[in-house]
Amino acid sequence: MNLSPDQSIMFEAWGIPINATILYTWVVMAFLTGAAILITRNLRPDVPPNRWRTMLEVIVQGIQSQIEDVAGRRDRHLLYFAGTLFLFVAVSNLLLVIPGFEPPTASLSTTTALALSVLIAVPLFGITRRGLGGYLKTYLEPSFIMLPFNIISEFSRGISLAIRLYGNIMSGAVIAAILLGVAPFFFPVVMDVLGLLTGLIQAYIFAILATVYISSATATPNTTEKENP
Amino acid sequence: MSIDWITVAAQIANFLLLMWLLRRFLYRPILDGIDAREVEISDRMQEAVHAKEQAQAEKQSYLDKVQALNVAQSEMTETIRRSAEEQRDVLLAETQKRLQQENATWKAHLDDETHKYTAKMHRAGAEALLSLTRKALNDLADETLETRVAHHLIQQITPMVPDLKRAAGQAAQAVIISQSALPAAVKDELTTELQKAFPQSVVRFETDETQAPGLVLRVGGAQLAWTVESYIDGLSALIDEQLASGGDLKVKSHEQ
Repeated sequence: MNLSPDQSIMFEAWGIPINATILYTWVVMAFLTGAAILITRNLRPDVPPNRWRTMLEVIVQGIQSQIEDVAGRRDRHLLYFAGTLFLFVAVSNLLLVIPGFEPPTASLSTTTALALSVLIAVPLFGITRRGLGGYLKTYLEPSFIMLPFNIISEFSRGISLAIRLYGNIMSGAVIAAILLGVAPFFFPVVMDVLGLLTGLIQAYIFAILATVYISSATATPNTTEKENP
Repeated sequence: MSIDWITVAAQIANFLLLMWLLRRFLYRPILDGIDAREVEISDRMQEAVHAKEQAQAEKQSYLDKVQALNVAQSEMTETIRRSAEEQRDVLLAETQKRLQQENATWKAHLDDETHKYTAKMHRAGAEALLSLTRKALNDLADETLETRVAHHLIQQITPMVPDLKRAAGQAAQAVIISQSALPAAVKDELTTELQKAFPQSVVRFETDETQAPGLVLRVGGAQLAWTVESYIDGLSALIDEQLASGGDLKVKSHEQ
């Protein structure tokens, strides 16, 4: 039994082994991009919005509203980042219901990659927002004594993000596999339902925590102002 | 549980690629569409506000025009009413004036008719009086009116000679005027009597149809009339009084 889809090599391309994590990540990417292209292809001001476009608008505006609540401002770049995190994790976890699909988020490599992305995005957003000096100064607050603790805190955030997501998704998949052997006709359905719920919750938590980290790094003394993108 | 760092790198690349793809095909179109729709809604709201303001202005303009029209109508009505009153007054004045003129014309015509009738009655009355008098004298005393008048004048002239002489002075002739020619005997008696009183004067007889029956003696500047003029005047006064009472009644009934 493979605990991680990284170990499942699906095929090789130009000599590079493509494991299940990367393959199913491409599937998720293709699904999201294809759906977005299909729905927004006829998006013109003179064409009234259809139900699919309305659904996308509700999703995007919901994400934007959550980011605005957390960050206290409207930031399109933060929307691109946190929104993509949420959609990727959520769709990966929701596609768990498809037989044979292995969610990429069940791979510690994927969650590590996403955590690293957050770990890199936090200083990038902070430097962009406050400048290099302003961002580095946050490590000395409230006192220079806190510098090592702040650095440890910064890295522990990423580790916790990665482990939390991986643990939840991987454990759900493993428990479902174990229960499948015990009661193959009842528990898989229950576990799938629970998997959908925990998948969505984990996607929300991951995106919200990333937004919180980035917001705290970009926070200025007067953060109540709302910016235009 | 292990981390495949190649997969980690590939997943980071995949995530960045997915972020770019979603930014390109999802976020931007959706957010730009929402912004465009908000701008369109805002523009339409502004257009609606503008249209509402225009409608309000048009409504106000219409109300102003209606008010002005009402004012003009009231002024026109007042002008027409005044003009009608003036025309009515003018017509009434003209009618009254015409009525007064017609009344005056009618009154003048009535007076003229009355005058003609009175004159006619005078003549008829005088002729009747004279005719009756002549007939009565002729039937009862076998005398003519002129003869009796001449005889009476001869009897009355003697006591008046001194007064006549003072009034006549040195007159060259004495003229006796009658309505018709006097009989020769009467002329002789009158000539004889007058030459006694005025020896240096020549006696001459004339006739005047317009004169009342009787005799008029004219010596120089003195004149002595012995005619029925006063009787005819009395008869005329009686006729005038009767006509006046009858005419007043007619005029009153006509005015009513």
